[in-house]
Amino acid sequence: TSFCYEPCFSTQVLPATCAQPVRGYYVDWRMLRDVKRRKLAYEYADERLRINAIRKNSILPKELQEVADKEIAALPRDSCPTRLRNRCVLTSRPRGVRRRWRLSRIVFRHFADHAEMSGIQRAMW
Amino acid sequence: STSSVLSAEKDEFTTSKDGTTEVASKSQEGKAETPKQKLLDIIGNMKVEVSYRKKLQDLKTRQIKKQATNNLEGLDSGGTMLQKTTEDTQRGKRLNPELVEAAAAVASSLPLNKKQTESELLAQLRRHEETTDKQKKGGTINLRNVISEMAVKRQSRAQRGVRLSNRISLELDEDGQELRPGKFSPQSFVSRRYLSLKGGSRLNIFTKPSEETEIETALETVSSPTIWDLEFAKEIAAITAQPPRNGFEEMIQWTKQGILWEFPIDNEAGMEDDAEFHEHIFLEKHLENFPKQGPIRHFMELVICGLSKNPYLTVKQKIEHIEWFHNYFEEKKELLQEI
Repeated sequence: TSFCYEPCFSTQVLPATCAQPVRGYYVDWRMLRDVKRRKLAYEYADERLRINAIRKNSILPKELQEVADKEIAALPRDSCPTRLRNRCVLTSRPRGVRRRWRLSRIVFRHFADHAEMSGIQRAMW
Repeated sequence: STSSVLSAEKDEFTTSKDGTTEVASKSQEGKAETPKQKLLDIIGNMKVEVSYRKKLQDLKTRQIKKQATNNLEGLDSGGTMLQKTTEDTQRGKRLNPELVEAAAAVASSLPLNKKQTESELLAQLRRHEETTDKQKKGGTINLRNVISEMAVKRQSRAQRGVRLSNRISLELDEDGQELRPGKFSPQSFVSRRYLSLKGGSRLNIFTKPSEETEIETALETVSSPTIWDLEFAKEIAAITAQPPRNGFEEMIQWTKQGILWEFPIDNEAGMEDDAEFHEHIFLEKHLENFPKQGPIRHFMELVICGLSKNPYLTVKQKIEHIEWFHNYFEEKKELLQEI
Protein backbone atom coordinates (compact mmCIF):
# COMPACT_ATOMS: atom_id res chain seq x y z
CA THR A 1 0.00 0.00 0.00
CA SER A 2 1.21 3.48 -0.81
CA PHE A 3 1.00 6.63 1.29
CA CYS A 4 1.05 9.11 -1.55
CA TYR A 5 -1.90 11.30 -2.38
CA GLU A 6 -2.95 9.24 -5.34
CA PRO A 7 -4.48 5.77 -5.02
CA CYS A 8 -1.55 3.93 -6.59
CA PHE A 9 -1.34 0.26 -5.69
CA SER A 10 1.95 -1.55 -6.31
CA THR A 11 1.44 -3.70 -9.37
CA GLN A 12 3.56 -6.70 -10.25
CA VAL A 13 5.05 -5.18 -13.40
CA LEU A 14 7.32 -2.26 -12.66
CA PRO A 15 6.20 0.66 -14.78
CA ALA A 16 9.76 1.95 -15.35
CA THR A 17 10.94 -1.11 -17.27
CA CYS A 18 7.72 -1.76 -19.20
CA ALA A 19 7.72 -0.40 -22.73
CA GLN A 20 3.95 -0.18 -23.15
CA PRO A 21 1.96 2.45 -21.27
CA VAL A 22 0.59 0.96 -18.05
CA ARG A 23 -2.04 2.48 -15.82
CA GLY A 24 -0.30 2.95 -12.50
CA TYR A 25 -3.15 4.54 -10.53
CA TYR A 26 -6.70 3.55 -9.55
CA VAL A 27 -9.63 5.83 -10.14
CA ASP A 28 -10.34 6.49 -6.44
CA TRP A 29 -9.66 5.19 -2.96
CA ARG A 30 -12.80 3.05 -2.93
CA MET A 31 -11.52 1.19 -5.90
CA LEU A 32 -8.19 0.70 -4.13
CA ARG A 33 -9.91 -0.75 -1.07
CA ASP A 34 -11.92 -3.05 -3.27
CA VAL A 35 -8.70 -4.27 -4.88
CA LYS A 36 -7.18 -5.02 -1.45
CA ARG A 37 -10.28 -6.95 -0.42
CA ARG A 38 -10.15 -9.01 -3.57
CA LYS A 39 -6.53 -9.94 -2.94
CA LEU A 40 -7.21 -11.01 0.65
CA ALA A 41 -10.29 -12.92 -0.36
CA TYR A 42 -8.20 -14.84 -2.88
CA GLU A 43 -5.65 -15.73 -0.20
CA TYR A 44 -8.14 -17.01 2.35
CA ALA A 45 -10.60 -18.58 -0.05
CA ASP A 46 -9.53 -22.19 0.57
CA GLU A 47 -9.50 -21.88 4.35
CA ARG A 48 -12.87 -20.21 4.41
CA LEU A 49 -14.35 -22.93 2.23
CA ARG A 50 -13.04 -25.73 4.45
CA ILE A 51 -14.07 -24.13 7.73
CA ASN A 52 -17.49 -23.42 6.33
CA ALA A 53 -17.75 -27.05 5.25
CA ILE A 54 -17.27 -27.99 8.90
CA ARG A 55 -19.75 -25.41 10.08
CA LYS A 56 -22.57 -26.11 7.66
CA ASN A 57 -22.71 -29.76 8.69
CA SER A 58 -25.25 -31.96 10.36
CA ILE A 59 -22.90 -34.93 10.96
CA LEU A 60 -20.09 -33.44 13.03
CA PRO A 61 -20.68 -32.57 16.68
CA LYS A 62 -21.91 -29.10 17.49
CA GLU A 63 -18.96 -28.27 19.71
CA LEU A 64 -16.68 -28.66 16.77
CA GLN A 65 -18.89 -26.42 14.71
CA GLU A 66 -18.83 -23.73 17.40
CA VAL A 67 -15.07 -23.81 17.42
CA ALA A 68 -15.10 -23.48 13.67
CA ASP A 69 -17.39 -20.45 13.97
CA LYS A 70 -14.92 -18.77 16.24
CA GLU A 71 -12.07 -19.56 13.91
CA ILE A 72 -13.71 -18.09 10.88
CA ALA A 73 -14.61 -14.96 12.80
CA ALA A 74 -10.95 -14.57 13.73
CA LEU A 75 -9.91 -14.31 10.12
CA PRO A 76 -9.35 -10.78 8.71
CA ARG A 77 -12.54 -9.06 7.89
CA ASP A 78 -11.51 -8.10 4.39
CA SER A 79 -11.02 -11.75 3.47
CA CYS A 80 -14.77 -12.20 3.28
CA PRO A 81 -16.01 -12.44 -0.33
CA THR A 82 -19.30 -10.77 0.56
CA ARG A 83 -17.45 -7.51 1.06
CA LEU A 84 -16.45 -7.31 -2.58
CA ARG A 85 -18.36 -4.91 -4.80
CA ASN A 86 -18.24 -5.28 -8.55
CA ARG A 87 -17.39 -1.74 -9.44
CA CYS A 88 -16.97 -0.29 -12.90
CA VAL A 89 -13.43 -0.80 -14.04
CA LEU A 90 -13.06 2.62 -15.62
CA THR A 91 -15.17 4.92 -13.47
CA SER A 92 -15.44 2.95 -10.18
CA ARG A 93 -19.23 3.32 -10.22
CA PRO A 94 -20.73 0.86 -7.70
CA ARG A 95 -24.15 0.63 -9.31
CA GLY A 96 -25.35 -0.05 -12.83
CA VAL A 97 -22.40 -2.25 -13.68
CA ARG A 98 -22.83 -4.94 -16.35
CA ARG A 99 -20.96 -8.01 -15.11
CA ARG A 100 -19.96 -9.30 -18.51
CA TRP A 101 -18.08 -6.16 -19.45
CA ARG A 102 -17.26 -4.91 -15.93
CA LEU A 103 -18.36 -1.46 -17.07
CA SER A 104 -20.98 0.92 -15.81
CA ARG A 105 -23.96 1.61 -18.02
CA ILE A 106 -22.77 5.08 -18.98
CA VAL A 107 -19.33 3.93 -20.13
CA PHE A 108 -20.87 0.98 -21.91
CA ARG A 109 -23.25 3.23 -23.79
CA HIS A 110 -20.41 5.57 -24.70
CA PHE A 111 -18.32 2.82 -26.22
CA ALA A 112 -21.24 1.14 -27.94
CA ASP A 113 -22.26 4.37 -29.66
CA HIS A 114 -18.73 4.87 -30.93
CA ALA A 115 -18.71 1.27 -32.23
CA GLU A 116 -15.93 0.23 -29.89
CA MET A 117 -17.78 -2.72 -28.40
CA SER A 118 -17.52 -5.85 -30.45
CA GLY A 119 -20.87 -7.34 -31.49
CA ILE A 120 -23.00 -4.64 -29.85
CA GLN A 121 -25.71 -2.97 -31.87
CA ARG A 122 -28.58 -0.64 -31.07
CA ALA A 123 -31.63 -2.73 -30.37
CA MET A 124 -34.57 -2.27 -32.67
CA TRP A 125 -37.51 -4.59 -32.95
CA SER B 1 80.06 -7.80 -40.50
CA THR B 2 78.54 -10.85 -42.11
CA SER B 3 79.37 -13.12 -39.24
CA SER B 4 76.25 -13.86 -37.29
CA VAL B 5 77.13 -16.76 -35.07
CA LEU B 6 79.67 -15.57 -32.59
CA SER B 7 80.47 -16.60 -29.14
CA ALA B 8 79.75 -14.27 -26.31
CA GLU B 9 83.41 -14.05 -25.52
CA LYS B 10 84.15 -12.72 -28.92
CA ASP B 11 81.56 -10.00 -28.62
CA GLU B 12 83.07 -8.91 -25.39
CA PHE B 13 86.52 -8.98 -26.91
CA THR B 14 85.45 -6.88 -29.86
CA THR B 15 83.88 -4.24 -27.68
CA SER B 16 86.82 -4.16 -25.39
CA LYS B 17 89.20 -4.17 -28.29
CA ASP B 18 87.47 -1.24 -29.94
CA GLY B 19 87.71 0.71 -26.79
CA THR B 20 91.31 -0.03 -26.04
CA THR B 21 92.78 0.00 -29.52
CA GLU B 22 93.62 3.64 -29.48
CA VAL B 23 94.97 3.56 -25.95
CA ALA B 24 97.04 0.46 -26.53
CA SER B 25 98.41 1.72 -29.80
CA LYS B 26 99.56 4.95 -28.21
CA SER B 27 101.07 3.25 -25.20
CA GLN B 28 102.94 0.66 -27.17
CA GLU B 29 104.61 2.88 -29.73
CA GLY B 30 107.69 3.01 -27.63
CA LYS B 31 107.88 -0.76 -27.22
CA ALA B 32 107.36 -1.47 -30.86
CA GLU B 33 110.29 -3.76 -31.52
CA THR B 34 110.13 -6.34 -28.79
CA PRO B 35 106.38 -6.78 -28.87
CA LYS B 36 106.52 -6.90 -32.65
CA GLN B 37 108.85 -9.78 -32.48
CA LYS B 38 106.64 -11.45 -29.96
CA LEU B 39 103.65 -10.81 -32.10
CA LEU B 40 105.30 -12.21 -35.13
CA ASP B 41 106.15 -15.33 -33.22
CA ILE B 42 102.62 -15.58 -32.04
CA ILE B 43 101.33 -15.08 -35.53
CA GLY B 44 103.66 -17.79 -36.68
CA ASN B 45 102.32 -20.07 -33.98
CA MET B 46 98.84 -19.12 -35.00
CA LYS B 47 99.45 -20.09 -38.53
CA VAL B 48 100.59 -23.47 -37.39
CA GLU B 49 97.48 -23.87 -35.34
CA VAL B 50 95.37 -22.72 -38.25
CA SER B 51 96.93 -25.28 -40.55
CA TYR B 52 96.22 -28.08 -38.08
CA ARG B 53 92.69 -26.99 -37.72
CA LYS B 54 92.36 -26.74 -41.46
CA LYS B 55 93.01 -30.45 -41.86
CA LEU B 56 90.30 -31.34 -39.38
CA GLN B 57 87.82 -29.05 -41.01
CA ASP B 58 88.51 -30.46 -44.46
CA LEU B 59 87.67 -33.89 -43.15
CA LYS B 60 84.48 -32.56 -41.62
CA THR B 61 83.38 -30.83 -44.80
CA ARG B 62 83.93 -34.00 -46.76
CA GLN B 63 81.74 -35.91 -44.35
CA ILE B 64 79.03 -33.28 -44.52
CA LYS B 65 79.04 -33.32 -48.28
CA LYS B 66 78.74 -37.09 -48.30
CA GLN B 67 75.71 -37.04 -45.95
CA ALA B 68 74.03 -34.15 -47.77
CA THR B 69 71.93 -33.21 -44.79
CA ASN B 70 69.59 -30.22 -44.75
CA ASN B 71 70.28 -29.31 -41.14
CA LEU B 72 72.97 -26.74 -41.09
CA GLU B 73 75.06 -26.40 -38.05
CA GLY B 74 76.80 -23.35 -36.87
CA LEU B 75 80.38 -23.97 -37.68
CA ASP B 76 82.94 -23.02 -35.17
CA SER B 77 85.01 -19.94 -35.39
CA GLY B 78 87.84 -22.10 -36.48
CA GLY B 79 85.77 -23.33 -39.41
CA THR B 80 84.94 -19.85 -40.56
CA MET B 81 88.53 -18.95 -40.14
CA LEU B 82 89.66 -22.02 -42.04
CA GLN B 83 87.48 -21.26 -45.02
CA LYS B 84 89.46 -18.16 -45.45
CA THR B 85 92.78 -19.55 -44.25
CA THR B 86 94.45 -19.17 -47.60
CA GLU B 87 93.26 -15.62 -47.83
CA ASP B 88 94.22 -14.99 -44.26
CA THR B 89 97.72 -16.29 -44.64
CA GLN B 90 98.16 -14.05 -47.61
CA ARG B 91 96.81 -11.07 -45.77
CA GLY B 92 98.41 -11.87 -42.50
CA LYS B 93 101.01 -9.29 -43.11
CA ARG B 94 98.58 -6.68 -44.31
CA LEU B 95 97.09 -6.21 -40.88
CA ASN B 96 97.95 -3.04 -39.18
CA PRO B 97 100.85 -3.85 -36.83
CA GLU B 98 99.42 -1.47 -34.31
CA LEU B 99 96.18 -3.40 -34.26
CA VAL B 100 98.12 -6.60 -33.87
CA GLU B 101 100.01 -5.12 -30.95
CA ALA B 102 96.76 -3.99 -29.43
CA ALA B 103 95.26 -7.43 -29.84
CA ALA B 104 98.24 -8.94 -28.11
CA ALA B 105 97.98 -6.49 -25.25
CA VAL B 106 94.31 -7.19 -24.82
CA ALA B 107 94.89 -10.91 -24.86
CA SER B 108 97.60 -10.58 -22.29
CA SER B 109 95.41 -8.46 -20.05
CA LEU B 110 92.55 -10.96 -20.08
CA PRO B 111 92.84 -13.94 -17.79
CA LEU B 112 91.82 -16.55 -20.37
CA ASN B 113 94.04 -18.52 -22.71
CA LYS B 114 96.16 -15.78 -24.22
CA LYS B 115 97.13 -17.47 -27.42
CA GLN B 116 93.60 -18.48 -28.19
CA THR B 117 92.26 -15.03 -27.50
CA GLU B 118 94.93 -13.48 -29.63
CA SER B 119 94.18 -15.78 -32.48
CA GLU B 120 90.48 -15.07 -32.23
CA LEU B 121 91.05 -11.34 -32.13
CA LEU B 122 93.29 -11.42 -35.13
CA ALA B 123 90.74 -13.49 -36.99
CA GLN B 124 88.16 -10.85 -36.20
CA LEU B 125 90.44 -8.16 -37.54
CA ARG B 126 91.01 -10.08 -40.72
CA ARG B 127 87.33 -10.53 -41.22
CA HIS B 128 86.74 -6.82 -40.82
CA GLU B 129 89.40 -6.07 -43.39
CA GLU B 130 88.00 -8.59 -45.77
CA THR B 131 84.53 -7.17 -45.58
CA THR B 132 85.80 -3.65 -46.11
CA ASP B 133 87.83 -4.79 -49.11
CA LYS B 134 84.92 -6.62 -50.55
CA GLN B 135 82.63 -3.69 -50.12
CA LYS B 136 85.19 -1.41 -51.73
CA LYS B 137 85.61 -3.75 -54.65
CA GLY B 138 81.88 -4.41 -54.79
CA GLY B 139 82.21 -8.12 -54.20
CA THR B 140 79.07 -10.26 -54.32
CA ILE B 141 77.91 -12.09 -51.26
CA ASN B 142 78.75 -15.72 -51.39
CA LEU B 143 75.55 -17.40 -50.31
CA ARG B 144 77.34 -20.50 -49.25
CA ASN B 145 79.45 -18.60 -46.79
CA VAL B 146 76.44 -16.77 -45.50
CA ILE B 147 74.43 -19.90 -45.01
CA SER B 148 77.31 -21.78 -43.48
CA GLU B 149 77.68 -19.14 -40.83
CA MET B 150 73.99 -19.11 -40.08
CA ALA B 151 72.58 -21.50 -37.57
CA VAL B 152 69.16 -23.02 -37.94
CA LYS B 153 66.84 -23.19 -34.94
CA ARG B 154 66.24 -26.74 -33.98
CA GLN B 155 62.67 -27.90 -33.65
CA SER B 156 61.59 -29.55 -30.46
CA ARG B 157 59.86 -32.87 -30.58
CA ALA B 158 56.51 -31.36 -29.73
CA GLN B 159 56.78 -28.88 -32.52
CA ARG B 160 57.80 -31.59 -34.91
CA GLY B 161 54.78 -33.63 -33.93
CA VAL B 162 52.55 -30.62 -34.43
CA ARG B 163 53.98 -29.90 -37.82
CA LEU B 164 53.54 -33.51 -38.84
CA SER B 165 49.94 -33.48 -37.71
CA ASN B 166 49.37 -30.27 -39.61
CA ARG B 167 50.79 -31.87 -42.71
CA ILE B 168 48.59 -34.89 -42.27
CA SER B 169 45.50 -32.74 -41.79
CA LEU B 170 46.36 -30.70 -44.82
CA GLU B 171 46.58 -33.71 -47.05
CA LEU B 172 43.17 -35.11 -46.19
CA ASP B 173 40.05 -33.20 -47.06
CA GLU B 174 36.99 -32.94 -44.84
CA ASP B 175 35.22 -35.70 -46.73
CA GLY B 176 38.15 -38.00 -46.29
CA GLN B 177 39.31 -37.72 -49.86
CA GLU B 178 42.97 -37.12 -50.31
CA LEU B 179 42.87 -33.65 -51.71
CA ARG B 180 45.19 -30.80 -51.17
CA PRO B 181 43.58 -27.44 -50.47
CA GLY B 182 45.52 -25.65 -53.14
CA LYS B 183 43.50 -22.87 -54.65
CA PHE B 184 40.28 -23.41 -52.82
CA SER B 185 41.45 -22.54 -49.37
CA PRO B 186 44.70 -20.70 -49.51
CA GLN B 187 43.94 -18.77 -46.38
CA SER B 188 43.23 -21.81 -44.32
CA PHE B 189 46.28 -23.51 -45.77
CA VAL B 190 48.45 -20.62 -44.81
CA SER B 191 46.84 -20.26 -41.45
CA ARG B 192 47.26 -23.92 -40.66
CA ARG B 193 50.87 -23.82 -41.62
CA TYR B 194 51.99 -20.77 -39.83
CA LEU B 195 49.46 -20.46 -37.04
CA SER B 196 49.00 -23.37 -34.74
CA LEU B 197 47.27 -23.33 -31.42
CA LYS B 198 49.47 -25.95 -29.84
CA GLY B 199 52.89 -25.18 -31.25
CA GLY B 200 54.98 -22.11 -30.73
CA SER B 201 56.69 -20.61 -27.74
CA ARG B 202 54.71 -18.75 -25.15
CA LEU B 203 54.78 -14.98 -25.28
CA ASN B 204 54.28 -14.66 -21.51
CA ILE B 205 52.10 -11.61 -21.91
CA PHE B 206 49.13 -12.78 -19.90
CA THR B 207 49.38 -14.23 -16.44
CA LYS B 208 47.49 -17.44 -16.11
CA PRO B 209 45.10 -17.10 -13.20
CA SER B 210 44.79 -20.08 -10.92
CA GLU B 211 41.89 -22.38 -11.62
CA GLU B 212 40.55 -22.11 -8.10
CA THR B 213 40.11 -18.40 -8.25
CA GLU B 214 38.36 -18.76 -11.59
CA ILE B 215 35.93 -21.25 -10.15
CA GLU B 216 35.35 -19.11 -7.09
CA THR B 217 34.63 -16.02 -9.09
CA ALA B 218 32.28 -17.97 -11.34
CA LEU B 219 30.42 -19.34 -8.32
CA GLU B 220 30.18 -15.92 -6.74
CA THR B 221 28.69 -14.35 -9.80
CA VAL B 222 26.18 -17.16 -10.16
CA SER B 223 25.14 -17.35 -6.53
CA SER B 224 24.53 -13.63 -5.96
CA PRO B 225 22.83 -11.90 -8.91
CA THR B 226 22.65 -8.48 -7.36
CA ILE B 227 19.74 -6.13 -7.75
CA TRP B 228 21.91 -3.95 -9.91
CA ASP B 229 22.51 -6.83 -12.29
CA LEU B 230 18.80 -7.52 -12.52
CA GLU B 231 18.02 -3.89 -13.16
CA PHE B 232 20.73 -3.70 -15.75
CA ALA B 233 19.31 -6.73 -17.49
CA LYS B 234 15.86 -5.18 -17.41
CA GLU B 235 17.21 -1.95 -18.83
CA ILE B 236 18.88 -3.79 -21.67
CA ALA B 237 15.68 -5.68 -22.42
CA ALA B 238 13.68 -2.46 -22.41
CA ILE B 239 16.10 -0.69 -24.72
CA THR B 240 16.45 -3.55 -27.16
CA ALA B 241 12.70 -4.12 -27.31
CA GLN B 242 11.75 -1.98 -30.28
CA PRO B 243 8.08 -1.02 -30.84
CA PRO B 244 6.35 -3.36 -33.31
CA ARG B 245 6.71 -2.29 -36.90
CA ASN B 246 3.47 -3.85 -38.06
CA GLY B 247 0.41 -5.75 -36.86
CA PHE B 248 2.11 -9.12 -37.11
CA GLU B 249 4.86 -8.14 -34.71
CA GLU B 250 2.28 -6.71 -32.37
CA MET B 251 0.39 -9.99 -32.38
CA ILE B 252 3.63 -11.87 -31.77
CA GLN B 253 4.36 -9.64 -28.80
CA TRP B 254 0.88 -10.21 -27.39
CA THR B 255 1.20 -13.96 -27.83
CA LYS B 256 4.46 -13.94 -25.93
CA GLN B 257 2.92 -11.92 -23.13
CA GLY B 258 -0.06 -14.26 -22.98
CA ILE B 259 -2.71 -11.77 -24.05
CA LEU B 260 -3.39 -13.63 -27.30
CA TRP B 261 -3.99 -17.32 -27.57
CA GLU B 262 -1.89 -19.55 -29.77
CA PHE B 263 -3.56 -20.67 -32.98
CA PRO B 264 -4.78 -23.31 -33.76
CA ILE B 265 -6.48 -23.13 -30.38
CA ASP B 266 -5.46 -25.84 -27.97
CA ASN B 267 -8.31 -26.66 -25.64
CA GLU B 268 -5.95 -27.95 -23.01
CA ALA B 269 -3.57 -25.00 -23.09
CA GLY B 270 -2.32 -24.29 -19.59
CA MET B 271 -3.73 -27.53 -18.22
CA GLU B 272 -0.95 -29.95 -17.42
CA ASP B 273 -2.81 -32.62 -15.55
CA ASP B 274 -0.74 -35.73 -16.06
CA ALA B 275 -2.77 -37.78 -13.60
CA GLU B 276 -5.10 -40.51 -14.78
CA PHE B 277 -8.84 -40.61 -14.07
CA HIS B 278 -8.53 -43.23 -11.32
CA GLU B 279 -6.33 -40.89 -9.30
CA HIS B 280 -9.11 -38.29 -9.39
CA ILE B 281 -11.95 -40.60 -8.45
CA PHE B 282 -10.57 -43.23 -6.09
CA LEU B 283 -9.37 -41.11 -3.20
CA GLU B 284 -10.06 -43.57 -0.39
CA LYS B 285 -6.38 -44.44 -0.06
CA HIS B 286 -5.82 -40.94 1.35
CA LEU B 287 -8.22 -41.68 4.20
CA GLU B 288 -5.83 -44.09 5.91
CA ASN B 289 -4.92 -41.61 8.64
CA PHE B 290 -8.50 -41.00 9.70
CA PRO B 291 -10.44 -43.11 12.21
CA LYS B 292 -12.45 -45.83 10.55
CA GLN B 293 -15.65 -45.22 12.42
CA GLY B 294 -17.43 -42.21 13.70
CA PRO B 295 -18.80 -38.93 12.41
CA ILE B 296 -15.41 -37.79 11.14
CA ARG B 297 -15.12 -40.74 8.82
CA HIS B 298 -18.63 -40.10 7.56
CA PHE B 299 -17.75 -36.48 6.98
CA MET B 300 -14.55 -37.29 5.14
CA GLU B 301 -16.27 -39.79 2.89
CA LEU B 302 -18.66 -37.04 1.86
CA VAL B 303 -15.70 -34.76 1.19
CA ILE B 304 -14.09 -37.41 -1.01
CA CYS B 305 -17.34 -37.94 -2.89
CA GLY B 306 -17.47 -34.24 -3.66
CA LEU B 307 -13.81 -34.08 -4.72
CA SER B 308 -14.16 -37.01 -7.09
CA LYS B 309 -16.89 -35.14 -8.93
CA ASN B 310 -14.79 -31.97 -9.17
CA PRO B 311 -13.14 -31.61 -12.58
CA TYR B 312 -11.53 -28.24 -11.89
CA LEU B 313 -9.03 -29.22 -9.23
CA THR B 314 -5.79 -31.06 -9.86
CA VAL B 315 -4.90 -34.22 -7.96
CA LYS B 316 -2.41 -32.27 -5.88
CA GLN B 317 -5.00 -29.76 -4.82
CA LYS B 318 -7.38 -32.54 -3.79
CA ILE B 319 -4.70 -34.23 -1.74
CA GLU B 320 -3.91 -30.91 -0.09
CA HIS B 321 -7.60 -30.49 0.75
CA ILE B 322 -7.70 -33.83 2.53
CA GLU B 323 -4.40 -33.13 4.27
CA TRP B 324 -5.74 -29.87 5.64
CA PHE B 325 -8.72 -31.63 7.15
CA HIS B 326 -6.43 -34.22 8.67
CA ASN B 327 -4.31 -31.51 10.30
CA TYR B 328 -7.37 -29.67 11.52
CA PHE B 329 -8.79 -32.72 13.23
CA GLU B 330 -5.39 -33.56 14.70
CA GLU B 331 -5.35 -30.18 16.42
CA LYS B 332 -8.86 -30.65 17.73
CA LYS B 333 -8.24 -34.16 19.11
CA GLU B 334 -8.44 -33.11 22.74
CA LEU B 335 -11.75 -31.45 22.20
CA LEU B 336 -13.07 -34.44 20.36
CA GLN B 337 -12.05 -36.81 23.16
CA GLU B 338 -14.01 -34.79 25.68
CA ILE B 339 -17.08 -35.40 23.65
